[in-house]
Amino acid sequence: MTVPSILSLFLAIIVTLWISPVVSSPDYHEQLFLEPLPKSSLLASFNFRGNTSQQSFDNQHFRYFPRALGQILQHAHAKEVHLRFTTGRWDADSWGSRPWNGSKEGGTGVELWAWIDAPNDEEAFAKWITLTQSLSGLFCASMNFVDSTRTTRPVASFEPMGNHMGPNSLHLLHGTLPGEVVCTENLTPFLKLLPCKGKTGISTLFDGHKLFDAAWQSMSVDVQPICSAEGDCQVQIEQTVDMVLDIERSKRSRDDPIPRPLPNDQLVCDTSKPYNSEDTCYPLEKAADKAWSLNEVFGRTLNGICPLADSNEQSVCLRVPHEKSIFTTQGASEIKHDDGFTRCFSLPHSEPFDLSIPEQEVHTQVPIDEPVLHAERTIVGHGQERGGMRIIFGNPSDTAAVDFIYFESLPWFLRPYIHTLQATITGKDGVRREIPASDIVTDTYYRPAIDRERGTQLELALSVPAASTVTLTYDFEKAVLRYTEYPPDANRGFNVAPAVIRVLDGADAHPIYIRTTSLLLPLPTPDFSMPYNVIILTSTVIALAFGTIFNILVRRVVSAEEAALLNSQTFKARLVGKLVAIRDRFVKKETKVE
Amino acid sequence: MTNKKGDQESPKALANSTSQSATQRVPPPETSEAIHTRFRVIAAFWAVIIFLGFPIWWKTTSIYRAHLPIQEMVDWDDGKICRPVFPLEIHVATPQMQISESQHLLRTTQHTLDDLNEFAAHHLRLKPVNDTSASTPDEEHNVDAIGNAVEEGAEIALTVRVLSQEGLVSPRSELHADTTQLDVFYPPNHVPLPSSSNPPLSAFIAKELQGLYSEEKATIGHILSGETAGFDSESISRRLRRSMKYADTYHLSFSLFTPGPAPSSWDIENAVKEYLSPLLHAFAPISNFTIDTQVQLYATFSPMAPPPVYDEGEAAWTLRKEDLSAFINAAEWPLNPSIGSGPTLNFILYVPAPSQSPLVVKENRASSWIVPQWGGVYLLNPTLLTDQSGQSNPPYLTHESLRPAFMTFSHQLLTLLGTPTTPASLPLRLQTLTRVRAATLLLSASSTMGSLARLTESLPSIPIPATVASSVSTTLSHLSATCSYLRDGRFAAALASARVAETEAERSFFEKSMVGQVYFPDEHKVAVYLPLLGPIGVPLLVSLLKEVKRMIARRKANKAPAASN
Repeated sequence: MTVPSILSLFLAIIVTLWISPVVSSPDYHEQLFLEPLPKSSLLASFNFRGNTSQQSFDNQHFRYFPRALGQILQHAHAKEVHLRFTTGRWDADSWGSRPWNGSKEGGTGVELWAWIDAPNDEEAFAKWITLTQSLSGLFCASMNFVDSTRTTRPVASFEPMGNHMGPNSLHLLHGTLPGEVVCTENLTPFLKLLPCKGKTGISTLFDGHKLFDAAWQSMSVDVQPICSAEGDCQVQIEQTVDMVLDIERSKRSRDDPIPRPLPNDQLVCDTSKPYNSEDTCYPLEKAADKAWSLNEVFGRTLNGICPLADSNEQSVCLRVPHEKSIFTTQGASEIKHDDGFTRCFSLPHSEPFDLSIPEQEVHTQVPIDEPVLHAERTIVGHGQERGGMRIIFGNPSDTAAVDFIYFESLPWFLRPYIHTLQATITGKDGVRREIPASDIVTDTYYRPAIDRERGTQLELALSVPAASTVTLTYDFEKAVLRYTEYPPDANRGFNVAPAVIRVLDGADAHPIYIRTTSLLLPLPTPDFSMPYNVIILTSTVIALAFGTIFNILVRRVVSAEEAALLNSQTFKARLVGKLVAIRDRFVKKETKVE
Repeated sequence: MTNKKGDQESPKALANSTSQSATQRVPPPETSEAIHTRFRVIAAFWAVIIFLGFPIWWKTTSIYRAHLPIQEMVDWDDGKICRPVFPLEIHVATPQMQISESQHLLRTTQHTLDDLNEFAAHHLRLKPVNDTSASTPDEEHNVDAIGNAVEEGAEIALTVRVLSQEGLVSPRSELHADTTQLDVFYPPNHVPLPSSSNPPLSAFIAKELQGLYSEEKATIGHILSGETAGFDSESISRRLRRSMKYADTYHLSFSLFTPGPAPSSWDIENAVKEYLSPLLHAFAPISNFTIDTQVQLYATFSPMAPPPVYDEGEAAWTLRKEDLSAFINAAEWPLNPSIGSGPTLNFILYVPAPSQSPLVVKENRASSWIVPQWGGVYLLNPTLLTDQSGQSNPPYLTHESLRPAFMTFSHQLLTLLGTPTTPASLPLRLQTLTRVRAATLLLSASSTMGSLARLTESLPSIPIPATVASSVSTTLSHLSATCSYLRDGRFAAALASARVAETEAERSFFEKSMVGQVYFPDEHKVAVYLPLLGPIGVPLLVSLLKEVKRMIARRKANKAPAASN
């Protein structure tokens, strides 16, 4: 890490709590971490953690662990499960590095990975399907669409977080649904898993309208075994919700959500502008941060503490400079940490708690820590047949190179040409040079796709030198799908799952994850009435050809005069003759009139 | 005809010229060779259609329908093949009697029993045993006996020990609550004389036995024929309605619900071990059980449910009986069924908030009730703790305080599983349950077979895969095995094979691939292929008709000269 951030210090406290097996302390913790971010945003990071002993988990005696989830995991033999629901985009340029170092977020949509205990790959996959189907029902998400084409087995990108004991043969399976829209129906089951269920404690702040209105939000569920050195194990469930709220947007009342201009008398004008007058104004950005309170931002107040957690726990923490004054409801006690920015609050037991920051000017700013790596992935090229992928990695550090694993799982209908993999590097001098890809890529794991069976899995171990930007490109071909394989909104394009980047940082035990945005791949889309047109057209052509040939074979060939004579004997010819006669009579009359 | 045309004075020169010249230019009659060729061409086309096109179409669009023994299946459903009988073997030990005396006693008792019995399918057979030691089989032994009975002969339903006891005026009986043994004590002077045709002791034993099995008899009668003999029909059908459908495995889910933060833990492991495990162990030959438990805090009532009302007279919060159905907040309480095959039985221990304690049912001050085919609820009102902030529930429930709740739960479990209420001995009730379940499964598998037969008959368009046929044959063979086991009095074996029959019957009935094809009507195929079949079919048909017409005409022409000759 380049900047020893307070956030990671905060994480470190939690990490020590994890590692030290304090059995006597309550097995449930919850914490809310708030940090105002630039551009009037607010990061709210909720964390809920419950432990249960391995023995009572195996005997299905559930207390802090939700029964429904526990049974699913036992049924699918899943030893460790990570589930992510994410929407929006983390703006790393203005917000800095990600909460939890990105380890508690997923790619856009739903992401799920699990270590499954199974004797071989086939059984592991069968259990994985059981797991996705059951979780799909539990969380009201379309995880049942995670089939073999969307499942990969990453080799280097993920490591188990828990301590796995015993002779298990664990299989890691990973699935993504980049097109899944995360919404309130996923939050309700998420809240039901909590022992206090959103009735008390920090979970009372959850409101689906605010949560899914956030600029970026990520919900995660992690289940992992935690074992002490002596060998007694616990099963831990950790749920987090991270969101970045736009303070101004959240403060708007739900009845009147339309943004309105400030009244004239509240505008701060730039008087140095020559056109500044009574009726013209160039509004200035306010130097002071916006005023906000929990009630305004979340639409509710925090309702006491969850009694299952340690009653002395400081369950709400705020990261603002210490010089800022903050008002809280009575009964809450404030503890300021030595770092100069973090302060935590012990909450009153059963009274509602609110926290408000008035608008004020401060001189210190909370430092934003720079992310270790910038990553960006786009689809380039044009046309219906081919395209290209371009991935840009930027290393902001001036001193150290960044080593990381780049993991991509591509759908089978995007067929990459790995031989076209090219790398260009832009160094400090700003000169762009082509270099062989092998200079950057130290290791490759590539598993090609099989049509309609599995997707491409590409894992690259990369190293980006200090203060340089590396661009990787490769070409791909777009497959033509079968008629029934198109979704109802085929012209929207097909979602390509975000790439996962795991930064290898030897010093830090906890890996840093970065995910790119998901991509939209336009495929050649047919006109869907085509099959019927084809059927009718082909039938017509065949019928025409058949009719001609059949007639030639069957009909008798006679001269025209003979044919007329033959025809005149038939009923049809007589009828035609009558008709001709009637017509002629009319024509005659007309000529007479003339 | 030409005259007519001339009358109309057609102005067209061409028409005139043709009509005039037509008389000279009649086409030569077709050669027989040409007619033959045409006939062959048309015949060739039709041959291709009939011998190649039609079979290919038939082959590619036909659906596989495995052969099913429809008649046999329907016969099972109609009860024509098997008439289930339940011969119960009862051993009678008379250690203090002479052999001739005991034989006489047995004979007269059997007579009396047969006279009393109105329901032929269920009858008791008495058998003497010489084993005077009359070892009282303990419960484990009994369970093993049921388990092993698959290989053995008829099971011993009951052992009657007839013992003399001084100082008795009339005979009395004593049923052991945890074994299958009935002790009958009689005054020594009641030993039946060989001369008496109806000794009072025989009558007494017969009456006792009849009483023991009257509920079972009524239940089986109700299942087999829908009517009951001699027992309260209403209570039997209510009990059958309440009880769960038979399953191999039941999931028992015990949940502690409370509207506040406490109690947040309970000594559930010990409570289950102490209060439930013995019962579940006794059930092992009939069904398996899995147990899971959970604690759910902040479980509030549904907003639609009427809240409890404080009753001054009772000094308690009361729920009205008719509101109990809304007690469980299905939307918010996590009571989803357990994963895995088999139904889930939910047992809810509800600890009311201190402000609403004690909570009882208004009408009868009851604290528990059964939700038919779903589970049971128990309202636990623990002693409240008082401190400076007011009253609160204890944070932890000891297994001692869970005792009444789990006693109620075991009772509810027995009811939900369909165990009869009499007799008092649990092993006897479980035996009864075995027989009742075997009868139920036999009937339900038979009726599934009948439904499947009717379904395949009425929907000729659904495919019948080979797996269905094999499932059906497994079902039928297990059904007849069940029937013969029942006849031999081997009820545990009968239940085992009825279980197989039921599973296979359900599997064949709910075969997935049978359902899918139903919704693909023929009209769609016609709509897609009509553009092809129409334009091709019309010339083919017309040519065929012409050819047929021509042949008929020729035959007539041939006949006409022959007739004139």
